[in-house]
Amino acid sequence: MAVKSKSPTAKLALAILVFIAIFPIFWVFLNSFKQLVDIVSTTPKLFFTPTLDNYIYVLGRDNVQHGLINSVVIAGASVLIGAVLGIPAAYAVARYPNRFSDDIQFFVLSLRFLPPVAVAIPLIAIWLDLGLYDSRTALIITYTLLTMSTIIWLAIPAFTRVPREVEEAAIVDGYGAYAVFFKVALPIAAKSLTGAVIFSFILVWNEFLIALMLTTSDAKTLPIIASEFTLLGRNVPWGILNASVIVLSLPPLIFVGVMSGFINSALKKKD
Amino acid sequence: MKRKTTLPAVFLIPPLIILAILAFVPTIAAVNIALQNRELSFPNSSYVWFANFIDLFGDRRFVNAIWISLIWEVVTVTATLVVAVLLAIFLFETASPRMRSLVSILFIIPVMLPRVSAAFVWKFMFNPLFGLINYPVKLLTGAPIDFLSLPATALASVAVVDVWQWGLFFSVIVLKLLETLPPQPFEAARLDNAKTWEVHFYIGIPMLAAPLISLVFVKMVESLRAFDLIYVMTRGGPGIATETLDMYAFSQGFVEAGKISYASSMAVLMMLATIITFTVLWKWVRKWQ
Repeated sequence: MAVKSKSPTAKLALAILVFIAIFPIFWVFLNSFKQLVDIVSTTPKLFFTPTLDNYIYVLGRDNVQHGLINSVVIAGASVLIGAVLGIPAAYAVARYPNRFSDDIQFFVLSLRFLPPVAVAIPLIAIWLDLGLYDSRTALIITYTLLTMSTIIWLAIPAFTRVPREVEEAAIVDGYGAYAVFFKVALPIAAKSLTGAVIFSFILVWNEFLIALMLTTSDAKTLPIIASEFTLLGRNVPWGILNASVIVLSLPPLIFVGVMSGFINSALKKKD
Repeated sequence: MKRKTTLPAVFLIPPLIILAILAFVPTIAAVNIALQNRELSFPNSSYVWFANFIDLFGDRRFVNAIWISLIWEVVTVTATLVVAVLLAIFLFETASPRMRSLVSILFIIPVMLPRVSAAFVWKFMFNPLFGLINYPVKLLTGAPIDFLSLPATALASVAVVDVWQWGLFFSVIVLKLLETLPPQPFEAARLDNAKTWEVHFYIGIPMLAAPLISLVFVKMVESLRAFDLIYVMTRGGPGIATETLDMYAFSQGFVEAGKISYASSMAVLMMLATIITFTVLWKWVRKWQ
């Protein structure tokens, strides 16, 4: 294998890289436990008396609780609908190729080419006309476009990787087409499919532009609420802002391990 | 699996119909609204046909936004890929396998953050009063630099955040790709006394040409989604120095004027540009696979 130069310089460079990658987030994490005086000090403070005040303030606010519930309901519902409709569709594309298969795959992918602002602007008018503007329903339906297309796109390779022989053996055993899907393909592909579903959850949880344009009060999601903390009065509440960033970021970060495994299995050496 | 079954029809047709409705209704509505003079504060509107489009081309803020968007695309895509390839090679050459898998997990953390969070994280870092980046600047020059308020540095500073998220993430992917390559060509080149950079530049990168081009494509599509970063960090400012197309469409259609038809005509042009560009590119990329 390659000659490894494990020089001290290389180790130092690696340490600096990891520092750049992680420290900004860690710093926000630290600041979220600081009093305002410790944040705005002229020299950065690594050691301080921690306080939970910022979190108590953030989590105690009505609009944060409301935004959290909105985010959970909207992301949860759109991911669920996307998975229920998208996973079987991906299986049909992967296992029953027909002359439209390429076109279907390209259509699903091309939805990602649409600039979000180009979808959001007409939807303002559409949801206003339907009386659904600023409602959870409107956001769930809008996000289903995102979750369903993402899940279909990522689930097709997950099903292609299921060994064909296993499915054929099941047919020989008298399984019908649907039984093969539910009892064989689905369980075998489950791990990759979970990765795809979680990926679409992270996309929707993090989504900002569409939520910003389609909500004004009732259906605001957590990213919108977090972005508004800068607007609190004249004094920027830095500690509170740091705490709200951490609260917003925790759900996607819980899945770092899962996503890492998903990337590994997608890029594994093909035998 | 050649037997007749209803499965493909049952599994495919409903999702595709729903997707088509969800995609085509807004697209057609965008065109329809763009041809009117609708404003959010007035209930009545009538068709003005191409007046909005004609106005756009005389709008210097729109022309500025096109430039900013193009610069943003080129800078972030290039910087992301360069950072990713260099980092991946560095990790491949110097880190032990265990270290690599640890770093691989750490390096995907930034991209998983909501963009709003990433934007705030770096807004704090760039803060002129107590930002960590300004701390050494103050020690050296005596005065902080307000990176996000200077026309010369604002766009570049926002781009740093994008590359921080995507460059690190792509470096993990390129590293995994390097690990899947057969070792023989590398060993042969090393026996011929090729330098490390030569081995990668002439052997590793060419072998990965197809996946790297796919990554360029993915990043081009994702770079269009920079709105969150710019909204939180600069709101398009200072002046219009970081006002991309989606930022300008947003402020025309939503914030400043509620001119939803005018904003929609911008959206239609963006849609045409991206769909045509990416469709052509995609067909071209497919040929490489």
